Amino acid sequence: MIKITFTKVEGRSGAYWLLLALSGAVASLAPLSALYMFLNGHMVSNMTNQVPWGLPIVMAVYLIGASAGSLVMSATSSVFGKVEYKPFSRMAALMAFLLIVAALMAIIMDWGRPDRLMVPFFHIQPRSMFSLNAFLYSSYMALGLVYLWAMFHNMKKLERTLGLMAVGLAVLVHSGTGAIFGFVYVRELYNSPLLPPSFIAAALSSGTALMIVAVYLTFKAAGRHLDERLLHQLGNLMGVFILVVLYFLFIENVTRAYAPKNYEAVGFLLLHGGQVTNLFWFGLVGMGLVIPAALVFNPLTGRSMLFIQLAAWMQLAGVLIERYIIVMPAQLMPLEFFPDKEIASVFNDGVYATYTPSLPELGYAVGLCGVVVFCFTLAVKLWPMLPTEARHLHPVEEAQVAVEEDGEIAGRVIRVPGA
Amino acid sequence: MSVDRREFLKIGGIAAAGSVAGSLLPAVTGLAALDAGGNVSRASGDHQWGMVIDVDKCTKGCDACADACRTENNVPLFGDPKRDIHWIRTITVKQRGVEDAEERQFPAMCYHCENPPCQHVCPVAATFTRADGIVLIDKHRCIGCRYCMVACPYKARSFVSQHVAHTWDDNKDVPRRMHGVVEKCTLCVHRIDKGEEPACVVACREKGGDAMSFGDLNDPASAVAAAVRSGKATRIRADLGTNPRVFYLGL
Repeated sequence: MIKITFTKVEGRSGAYWLLLALSGAVASLAPLSALYMFLNGHMVSNMTNQVPWGLPIVMAVYLIGASAGSLVMSATSSVFGKVEYKPFSRMAALMAFLLIVAALMAIIMDWGRPDRLMVPFFHIQPRSMFSLNAFLYSSYMALGLVYLWAMFHNMKKLERTLGLMAVGLAVLVHSGTGAIFGFVYVRELYNSPLLPPSFIAAALSSGTALMIVAVYLTFKAAGRHLDERLLHQLGNLMGVFILVVLYFLFIENVTRAYAPKNYEAVGFLLLHGGQVTNLFWFGLVGMGLVIPAALVFNPLTGRSMLFIQLAAWMQLAGVLIERYIIVMPAQLMPLEFFPDKEIASVFNDGVYATYTPSLPELGYAVGLCGVVVFCFTLAVKLWPMLPTEARHLHPVEEAQVAVEEDGEIAGRVIRVPGA
Repeated sequence: MSVDRREFLKIGGIAAAGSVAGSLLPAVTGLAALDAGGNVSRASGDHQWGMVIDVDKCTKGCDACADACRTENNVPLFGDPKRDIHWIRTITVKQRGVEDAEERQFPAMCYHCENPPCQHVCPVAATFTRADGIVLIDKHRCIGCRYCMVACPYKARSFVSQHVAHTWDDNKDVPRRMHGVVEKCTLCVHRIDKGEEPACVVACREKGGDAMSFGDLNDPASAVAAAVRSGKATRIRADLGTNPRVFYLGL
């Protein structure tokens, strides 16, 4: 019988309070920037009439993806029977919840009228992905909370059912997020039926990367034993998801590049877009996908904690760039009134736009990450989120796993079929 | 049948009053609409307002339509090209990749599409189409998410990204500008409901080349219906299926 005991972290050390204070200070940047932007209007951002969406929307998409990925990671033990990931299930679910909260903060504070917070719940437009997502996101957030609650009370059956629902909803939530862009038929770089599935793939790869980073750092900081072979496994999993992302990216762009009407759009993205092209090849493909996949699949580096951590951080940064590459270039390109004619006007028609996030936008994005770290640090002290140790199980041992809370066996023995 | 613009907003106000966090203003005007009693009237589907713009008549360098629009609708210029609000602007166009290509000019605006992408993506249904085909925005409901600006193929929409001061010279027939929401051409709905033509059309006739004509697409005798019947009228990005109600001749 293997017992998994979840306990709170003590959180009395100076380092703990320092982390809490630092992340709290960073977190305060988010509401401060949002307030500043609301009081002064969006003119203090670098979002304009040609580039209506900027870094806040990039962050929203990124955080939603990481949340969906984390929730799937959390449910792997209860839903897919990967018992060895049970030690991470609580912190992954917590992370998923905090990330969706941060994502919703990003969206709402990006509105010109955040004071009209409740309006989307009273006026519905079924053809609008934003309208549908208002319900998907809020129900996803609520379900995440109930799922966590069920885990704390060791209600195995409920946890499994809720986990299954949560995975389904996570897929819907992130498909819906991809569809926001995929359905915009007038912009060649948005319009694609592959965006929803490729969003899911990137959610899984970045969610896994986040787990690798979060598990390693949290266990290390809390001084708990972590069998590194678990992270080797997670690294491999991340590598597989990265290959799926690469595949979608390849198919999408090859299909797009095939049609002459898209030569300009594809050229802007892949060949001569300057910053956009550099971000695509070096940021996303190189740093975000190919190198991390090579690192985790290479037997020499794939067994080294240093390289696995490096690969996970690169993948996390790479997916942030991927979100940027999806949201921004389509807006930077001018809209074509007549594909074979040049147009010009005082409203910047026919001109490529540029975008660099302003200081409030950056403060806002960094602040949201601070919110997640701050709440996570606080939560592991308040609730038993972390196991005393995370072991790599042999198949025979997997047959018998029980969850224990603060020294008291609280759950039934999980039986794995066939073991 | 005509709807006063203010009366119309009051009707919208009743609906908006149901929202918990909607600002207090619509709720108050909603009550006012109840007081108005029988005076409330709605747009009629008997008319389908449309416009035809003859590019051959558009005078090069002339900006009369845009100037008239700014005066009529109090549309400000901030001196910041990236954030200036444009309800109508003149566009120059020339053949790509050809030497000494002739440059032509025409006004571009909101085309009041039959299948408006902006309305389809609006999460709170703040963008709506009146029975007579005019696409409008309820600025008291708009949350400023700017999805419509991303979806509009014609760049017809502008975001009010700063507070705008009101002056005594403002035209009082149009609603006051509100920050943090998206706005666009209303086809001068307040004038149409008084039986007048949009300000740009009048200005083009009086100061420009008389290139713009406004009328009822349902009325066979109207100039716009005749132009559409001729088969010579084209619509911008007709391939998208948005079916604009503004047609061009000579493009």
